[in-house]
Amino acid sequence: MRLALDLALLAGALGLMWIVPDQLAFLTRVLIMILLVLSLDLVVGFAGIATLGQAAMFGSGAYAAALFALHVSAEPLSGLVVGMAAAAGVAFVSGLALLRAKALTLLVLTIAVAEVLQEVANQADTVTGGADGLGGYLMAPLLGAEFDLWGRTGYLYALGVLALCFAFARRLAGSPLGLALRGIREAPDRMHALGTPVYWRLVTVYTLAGGLAGAAGALSAQTTELVSPAAFDFSLSAEALIMLILGGTGRLYGAILGTVLFMAVHHFAAAVDPFNWLFAIGALVLAVVFLAPAGLVSLADRWVRR
Amino acid sequence: MSILLAILVDGVAYGMILFLISVGLSVTMGLMRVINLAHGGFALIGGALAHLALIRLGLPWAVAAGLGVLGTVAVAVVLERAFYRHIYGRPELEQVLATVGLAFLMIASVNLALGSSLLALPAPEWMRGSVDLGVRTLPVHRVVVLAAGAAIALALWALVERSRFGIRLRAAVDDARAASALGIDTGRVYAAAFALGAGLAALGGILGAELLPIEAYYPLRYLVLFLFVVAVGGMGSIAGSLAAALALGVLDTAARYLVPDFGTIFFYLGTMAILAVRPRGLLGRA
Amino acid sequence: MPRRPLRTAALAAVGIVVGWSALAETVRIGVIAPFSGPFARYGEQFQQAVETYVALNGDDPGGHQVEWLWRDSGGPDPGRAKALARELIVSDGVDYLAGFTFTPNAMAVAPLITQAEIPTVIFNAATSTITEASPFFVRASHTLAQLAAPAARHAHGEGARKVVTAVTDYAPGHNAEEAFTAAFEAEGGEVLDRIRMPLKTTDFAPFVQRIKDSGADAVFVFLPVGPPTFAFVKAYNDNALADAGITFYGTGETDETTLEALGDAALGLTTLYHYSAAHDSPENAAFQAKLAELHPGAIANFMSVGAYDGAHLLWTMIEAAGGSDPEAAIEAVEGLEWTSPRGPLKLDPETRHVTQNVYVRRVERDAETGRLVNREVETLPDQPDWGLVGD
Repeated sequence: MRLALDLALLAGALGLMWIVPDQLAFLTRVLIMILLVLSLDLVVGFAGIATLGQAAMFGSGAYAAALFALHVSAEPLSGLVVGMAAAAGVAFVSGLALLRAKALTLLVLTIAVAEVLQEVANQADTVTGGADGLGGYLMAPLLGAEFDLWGRTGYLYALGVLALCFAFARRLAGSPLGLALRGIREAPDRMHALGTPVYWRLVTVYTLAGGLAGAAGALSAQTTELVSPAAFDFSLSAEALIMLILGGTGRLYGAILGTVLFMAVHHFAAAVDPFNWLFAIGALVLAVVFLAPAGLVSLADRWVRR
Repeated sequence: MSILLAILVDGVAYGMILFLISVGLSVTMGLMRVINLAHGGFALIGGALAHLALIRLGLPWAVAAGLGVLGTVAVAVVLERAFYRHIYGRPELEQVLATVGLAFLMIASVNLALGSSLLALPAPEWMRGSVDLGVRTLPVHRVVVLAAGAAIALALWALVERSRFGIRLRAAVDDARAASALGIDTGRVYAAAFALGAGLAALGGILGAELLPIEAYYPLRYLVLFLFVVAVGGMGSIAGSLAAALALGVLDTAARYLVPDFGTIFFYLGTMAILAVRPRGLLGRA
Repeated sequence: MPRRPLRTAALAAVGIVVGWSALAETVRIGVIAPFSGPFARYGEQFQQAVETYVALNGDDPGGHQVEWLWRDSGGPDPGRAKALARELIVSDGVDYLAGFTFTPNAMAVAPLITQAEIPTVIFNAATSTITEASPFFVRASHTLAQLAAPAARHAHGEGARKVVTAVTDYAPGHNAEEAFTAAFEAEGGEVLDRIRMPLKTTDFAPFVQRIKDSGADAVFVFLPVGPPTFAFVKAYNDNALADAGITFYGTGETDETTLEALGDAALGLTTLYHYSAAHDSPENAAFQAKLAELHPGAIANFMSVGAYDGAHLLWTMIEAAGGSDPEAAIEAVEGLEWTSPRGPLKLDPETRHVTQNVYVRRVERDAETGRLVNREVETLPDQPDWGLVGD
C-alpha cells in the first residue's frame, strides 16, 4: 500500500516532466524545499525537537557545496556529499550544545545558531562573497548529462536525491532509533527511566536530519550556481516549519503535501496579485488550524478510512 | 571608565525599549501560555492607528498614542473572542501555525490600507531635545522611555503579583476548572489579560518607533528580538523580562562599542551563554 | 532547440491578423522584482514607472507590440530569481529580461542570460561587478562607487580633512566605504575611523557616540533604505552631531520614501545622489505629472527612475533590433545618450553602465507644498562608475 503510493508519487513527479515541461525550474525548487521540510519532520515530528533554525544546516550545505565546486571540483555528486557532511557536522556540534534545552529556550537557541552562521557568511566576504553572494562556478555534467537550459537534468537530479532521502527517512522512522524517538517525544522521562540515552538519541537524529537539510542546501547551490546569506535566513526556517505543520507532522507525507500546497498557493496567488498574496496564505493557514488541526495528511487519512 | 558608563547608559536606555516592546508578549506567552507569534502585529496595529490619528487627523501626540493603544485593545478583545479563545490549550505547533497565519493577515491588511513604507510617528516637540548626564547626553525621548518602562514594570508587577486580578489570572491559567468552580469568570479574566498584553504591545510599538519604525513588516522583522527577550527573561516573569531586556540591551550596546565588526555574533553568542547557564531564563519559573 | 515556441505562435497570429504589410512582432519582456514581502514597494514602483514611460512614449517601439511579464522574486533569493528567469526564457519565450533589485538575484541569472543570449536591463542592483558577469547586462541605475567617490571629493572640496565612514556591514556598504576612502585619501584627506555597523542594528546610539568622540569634521554614511536609515538619522540628530561640527554626507539616506517619516530630523542633511524628485527639468516634470496621473499618491524616487530609464533602454533596443537579435540590441544602446528625468545620461560602452550627474542635495521644506524635498544645490557632472573605471 505504502510502496504503491510511493511509486505512484514518483511516477507522478516524473510525469510532470511531460505535463509541464516549462515549469521544471519551479518544480525543482519545490523538490528542494520538500527535502528541507522532510529533514525538519525528522527533528520536529519524530523527535519533538522544537526548532526555528533548520536553515543553519541548509545554508551550511549550500556554502560547502558552492565552495567545493569553486575550489575543488564542479562534479555535482561529490559536492552533494560534501554539503551533506558539512551540514551534518554543523548539526552535530550545535546539537551537542542545544539539545539539553527545551521549549522556548531551544527555539531561541536554534535561531541563534542560524543567525550566527548568517553573520559569518556576511562577514567573511573574501571566502563567501558576503551579501553579494558566492557564485562564479558552473556545475560539471551529472553522470554525463549537462545541466540544460530547460532544467531537466536539475529536476531529475533533485528528484533522485529526494527519493533516496525519503527512503532513508522512512527506514529511519521504522528503525529502533525511530521508535525510541517517538517514545522520547511522548514521554521523555519514562524513556530516560528505562535507560534510553535520550540526549544522544536526539543528537543522532539532529545530525542525520541536518545531513538531509544539507543535501537540500547543496542541491540549491548546485542548481542556482550561486549562494547568498539568505540561505541562512530565519524566514526560510519559519516557512519550512509552516509548511510542515500545514501538511502534518511525523508522517513524512505531510512534508510533501504541506510544501506542495504552500508553494503552489504562493506561486499562483503571487502571480494573480503579488501585493496581496499574504491574505491567501494567511487564510489557508487559519483554515488548516481550525478545520484540520493535525495537518492536511489527516484529511487524507479520514478519506482513506471511509 | 567613561566608555563603561556610556555602555551602561546607552545599554539601559536601549534595553528599556526592548522591555517595552516585548513585555506584552511575556504576559500572553508567559502567563497565558499561548505561543503568540502575532505579538508584533498588535504593536503594528497600535502604531498604524496612532499614525493615522497623528498625521491624517492632526491630533496631538499624546492623544494619538492613547487612541492607538485603546484601538488596539478593542481589536484584541474582538480577536480574543473570535480567535485566540479557540487555541488556548492546543498543542504548541498548532498555536505557532495559527498565530503566524494571523500575523500574515495583519501584515497584509496594513499593507493594503497604508502601503509598505515607514509610517511616520513624529515625537512631540518636548521629546526632541537632549539632556546632559555628564558622561553622555541622552535624548529626552530615551528618558521618557526609561520612565515609562520603569512605571510599567512596577504597575505590572503590582497587578500580577499583588492584585486580585493577578491571583485570578494565575488561578485560571494553572487550573481553569478549579478556578471557575471558585466563581472566577475565567473567560473574562483571559480576555482582560490578553487585552492587557496587546495594549502593552501597542504602547511599546508607539514609544519604540524612534528606533524600530512602524511599517507593515514589523511583526516578522522583530519577531526574533521579542522571542529572545522573553526566553532570556524566563516565561511568565515580568521582573525576568525587565532583567533580560536590560541585560540584552547592555550586551548589544557593549558589542557595538567594543567589537562593532562582530556585533551580531557577539550578541547571539552572549545570549547562548546566558541560556546555557540559565536554561529557563534569568528568572523563569521552574 | 525551440527556444521561443510561444513567440513564434504569437508572431504567426499577428501576421495573419495584421496581414503581411508590417514586419511587426510581439516582443516579450520579463521583469523579475520583489512584489511581495518587505521589499514589495520596489516592484510596485518599477511597474508604475514602466507604465508611465509607456504612456509618455507609446506602446509600440519600432512598430513592435510589447508584452510585459511581471514575476515576483520576493527578497534577496537567488534560487527563486534564477528559476523565474529560466521559466521566462524557456517557457514564456521572453526576448528581454529586466528588473533586479538585489545583487545576488542579478548575479544568479548571469550564466543563464549569457547562454540564452537575453539582453537584460538592471533597474537597480548596484554592485559594480554585475555588468562584468555577462555581456548581456546593461544597467540603468547607479553603483555605490559612482556616488561615494564624488562624495569624497566634494567633502574635501568643502573643507573636510578628517572624516569617519559609517556604513552598514554588508557588501554594498563595503563598496561605498572603499570607494569613499580611496577617493578621499587621494585628495589628501585622512580617514580617522571606518565604522561598520551590523546589518540588524536597531540602536545606533553607540556608533553615533563613537563618531562624536572621533574628532572628525565630517561623517560619510551609507545604510540601506528603510528602518536602518531612519534610526541612524534619528540618532545623528538626537546626539546633536551637527552641533558638534560633524557634517553629514550621505547617499540615499534621504530617499523620498523615507523622507516624510524622518520629518524635521532630516532638515539640512547633505546627500550626494543621482536623482532627486525635486530635480528641476521639463523631463522630470513630465515624468512626475504622468506618474501622478496614472498612480495618484505614487512616490518618485531612485527606484522609479531606474525603471523609467531602464524602459528607455529597452525601447531603444527593441526599435533597433526587435526581439530576435540580442547582439544588435546591446550595440544599439552602447554609447546611447539621452536626457532622463534625473538629467543627462550616457550608457558607457565599456562598462554598460550609465554615466550620469551626481547632485549635491540638501533637505529642506518646500515653501509651496510644505513637504520635505532634496533640493539640488550643486551638480557634479558626468560621473562614471568609479568602481570599474578606477580598476
